[in-house]
Amino acid sequence: MAELTQNEKRLLAVLVKEEKAEAPHLADLLAATQEAVVQWAHLAEDKGLATVERIVSKEFVYTDEGKTYLKDGLPETQLLRFIHPGTQLADLQKHEAFKIGFGQLRKKGLVKVEGASVAKAPGASTDADEAALKNPSATDTKTKDLFKRGILQETETVRYTVAITPEGFALAKKGLDLREETGTLTREQILSGSWKTANLRKYDVTKLPKKAYPGKIHPYQRIISEMREILLEMGFEELYGGIVQQSFWNFDALFQPQDHPAREMQDTFYLNETLPLPPGYEKVKAMHISGGETSSTGWGGVWKEEKAEQCVLRTHTTSVSIQHLARNPNPPVKAFCIGRVYRRETIDTTHLAEFEQLEGIVMDEGVTFGNLLGILREFYHRIGFEGVRFKPSYYPYTEPSLDAEVYVEGIGWIEMGGAGVFREEVTAPLGINYPVLAWGLGVSRIAMLRLGLKDLRYLHKSDVAFLRETPSLRQNKGGI
Amino acid sequence: MAVITLPYKYLERLTRTDKKTILDKIALIGSDVERIEEDHADVEFFPDRPDLFSPEGVARAMRGYLGIETGLPSYSVKPSGIKFTIDPELANIRPVLGAAVIRGVSFDDESIQSIMSLQESLHWAVGRGRSKVAIGIHDMDTVRPPFHYIASRPSRGFIPLDFKEKMTMAEILEKHPKGRDYAKIVKDFPLYPLIVDDDDHVLSFPPIINGERTRVTIDTKNILLDTTGTDKRAVGVAVNIICTAMAEAGANIESVAIGGVQTPTLAPAERTVSVMECSRLLGIDLTAATMAELLRKMRFGAEPDGADTVKVQVPCYRADIMHDWDLFEDVAIAYGYDKIQDLPPKTFTVGKPHPVQVNAALAREVFCGLGYLEVMPFTLTSEDVLYKRMQRPGRPGVLHVMHPISIENTVVRTELLPLLLEFLTLNRHRELPQRLFTVGDVVDSCHTYQQASGVSTHPEADFSEAYASADAVLHELSVDYTVKESADPAFIEGRRGDIIVAGKKIGVFGEIHPAVLTAFELEHPVAAFEFDLRAVPGYPVL
Repeated sequence: MAELTQNEKRLLAVLVKEEKAEAPHLADLLAATQEAVVQWAHLAEDKGLATVERIVSKEFVYTDEGKTYLKDGLPETQLLRFIHPGTQLADLQKHEAFKIGFGQLRKKGLVKVEGASVAKAPGASTDADEAALKNPSATDTKTKDLFKRGILQETETVRYTVAITPEGFALAKKGLDLREETGTLTREQILSGSWKTANLRKYDVTKLPKKAYPGKIHPYQRIISEMREILLEMGFEELYGGIVQQSFWNFDALFQPQDHPAREMQDTFYLNETLPLPPGYEKVKAMHISGGETSSTGWGGVWKEEKAEQCVLRTHTTSVSIQHLARNPNPPVKAFCIGRVYRRETIDTTHLAEFEQLEGIVMDEGVTFGNLLGILREFYHRIGFEGVRFKPSYYPYTEPSLDAEVYVEGIGWIEMGGAGVFREEVTAPLGINYPVLAWGLGVSRIAMLRLGLKDLRYLHKSDVAFLRETPSLRQNKGGI
Repeated sequence: MAVITLPYKYLERLTRTDKKTILDKIALIGSDVERIEEDHADVEFFPDRPDLFSPEGVARAMRGYLGIETGLPSYSVKPSGIKFTIDPELANIRPVLGAAVIRGVSFDDESIQSIMSLQESLHWAVGRGRSKVAIGIHDMDTVRPPFHYIASRPSRGFIPLDFKEKMTMAEILEKHPKGRDYAKIVKDFPLYPLIVDDDDHVLSFPPIINGERTRVTIDTKNILLDTTGTDKRAVGVAVNIICTAMAEAGANIESVAIGGVQTPTLAPAERTVSVMECSRLLGIDLTAATMAELLRKMRFGAEPDGADTVKVQVPCYRADIMHDWDLFEDVAIAYGYDKIQDLPPKTFTVGKPHPVQVNAALAREVFCGLGYLEVMPFTLTSEDVLYKRMQRPGRPGVLHVMHPISIENTVVRTELLPLLLEFLTLNRHRELPQRLFTVGDVVDSCHTYQQASGVSTHPEADFSEAYASADAVLHELSVDYTVKESADPAFIEGRRGDIIVAGKKIGVFGEIHPAVLTAFELEHPVAAFEFDLRAVPGYPVL
């Protein structure tokens, strides 16, 4: 049995003598409020030590109007008293009870109007109504009429009676420790040593605590940080770059033709800003037009400086990694970037106009497409995906290209991200003379799987309750 | 993306094997199977391979991949004797014309649908929505050669496809559904492109609509293909893809003379590639013989030419082969991605975090220690949230997105605090106190940098809490700061302080102004602060 509180003990001690008593009486004896006594009694009842009886009694109360009628008689009674043979309707109308009383008399059929005069019906009497007014009864139809007329009201009074049970009696007989309890220990009690004799209150440990909410990292940031740590462990250098990029670095340097559909206003957020082209941009231009000095044919057609100068919200973090490579053309380069990227998409549950992209690049002498597959397998294994497979794909700036699929228990194979070797058309104009392996993935895809989200917007417009309830440590199974 | 419908019976007949064998392997040549239906499959192919946008093209590739028929497919082209003239006035309007005669076709409703859908997919992938390339297909027996590609006055009329009455070209751009869709390509020119026969019957008004006269039906036996555009290479590729697909279906291709030149030839292009370069790129051991064999599997003509060289004939429909590496990808696909040994590179490197992210992680740690919960708001927002509701003047460095998707996403955020207040609005019904923070990117003109901000709301939130929290975070991040009275209208006068580092304002803290609370529909006081993380020692100059 759960421990008794000090108040329950005091209640039981009183009940041993009283056996059964009403709450107000117990309240007097215990110097407490009725509400408190009833609460303690309920706690004792839960433990089978007492019983609490709730008695509801109904009483009739007169409204102000009712009180007047009790003194003067109901309006119809007053009128009946006034009516004598030959009473004129006009005179009766002057009576202050006429408005209510006359209607009642007509309704009950107690008067007859004959021309200009009014007469009582034979045997007209309001005695039964008056009786109901004086002694109301819940079952009486006359009383019910008085309720409807707003003359009487019914009120409910709740009383509590508490009685001790044989178990309670037995427990009390064994003796109750009625010494005063100590809740929170005080400094004084600790220093003086009085805690030794203090009656420390024992708490019900089975009860749920009041919730405390720690400050913590967003579950999505936690996933981002996990990926970041995996890449740092794998020997990658972290990159950070601006979200505003020149089309040149976002598209042209990546050999994206200027008439490519992804560059249109429908797919990319353009800004009303331009930046001057970097020195040596002519090599990129030549690559687009004719393939420069490589075995490529280029795209042909025209290449306009104005298009390349336009600023956009970066559509991929590749705009950051390509600039890093251009600045660091000597091998080895192993770098990654996790950052917000932008696509002009209509926002719905699975598409956002902005989301986090992770991208990794490896540039080194003699690295191969096979090495890229090896890096990807290792990376996805570390995230927790056991099954990883690759299939051909297409990206404008990589060749060969692939998509990585991972196996998720209960879902099957799902596409996680793309990868490939940067085309020579990308690397050659920037003076990068070694193969560059690159891969990317949308971090929110993994977040959605792991957090069981139905709506991606929830990552950015989160319910505080969701953030409070999602534990920091999640048991990931098979990567999710 | 192009999703191609592949009817099983037709595909099996063309590929010469059963549908299971085909569907099991189809993803391995580069595709995503979207739907498997009773009588057909819908398969998505990548935009670099428009030659796979028809059942005929897919069957051709699969015959090679499955080893049923490998090497270069050859197509014979006889001259038709038909001529086209080109009006020099078209030079600045739509100069390029490609054409061919396709004889002996046998259409049913399904195969007409199939060629129409190839045409549409090419318009999308090669034609850039018809601006670069537009394709017209005509019943050749309804018109009389020679044909003339002319620049015509917009007032000229003809009966467009799907209409009963004659309309002028100007009217077509206004009233015909295709006219409205593609008007922007031609409407600014004084003259419009038009193809007519020798009797002046209109075949087509490229890139908008064909004439009703030359409509292709199930009775059509001979086709005239016209392809117009602005880019010679793209127009040529579109002609080659349609002609070779029709040839695969059993038709005979004949060339026409355009300005005296016979076209198309459907002849392959030649490339000589290095075996060593390919082996090094892919990380597999290849001999010239094996490499040539793999390429033949992908329908290239390929023969070893010495130990390190393979001579390759690239079929005329392979628009994507621009560079030697494009061939190497095909070698990898033929070899099988699953058979390539996947080992990480051996070079020793050390991981290195970026100082901006190191600082951000530290700031997060301190906020958490103070009991603040992290949130990650969007970076696209509105001036209403950033300035108007904050009672703050707009920033000169705010960036407007040129074609926003909604009025809530018109600018890139220049500070974080307003977004946190918006977050409190969103969570009004949740238990108090609420203490939220965010660390992240903001922009000032084209420059991106990081800020941090925290808010606390509950009935007792006040200036001292804001000051104490801001001080704790700044202290932990070793920011040596002083405070002076602020004039920031987002805060209550006398309960706001500017954070000063080296004489420059880097942030602000205080009690949010009741008018701002009201603008965000908040009912409890908010203690808030925000600051520029560039003030943290070690923040790199970017």
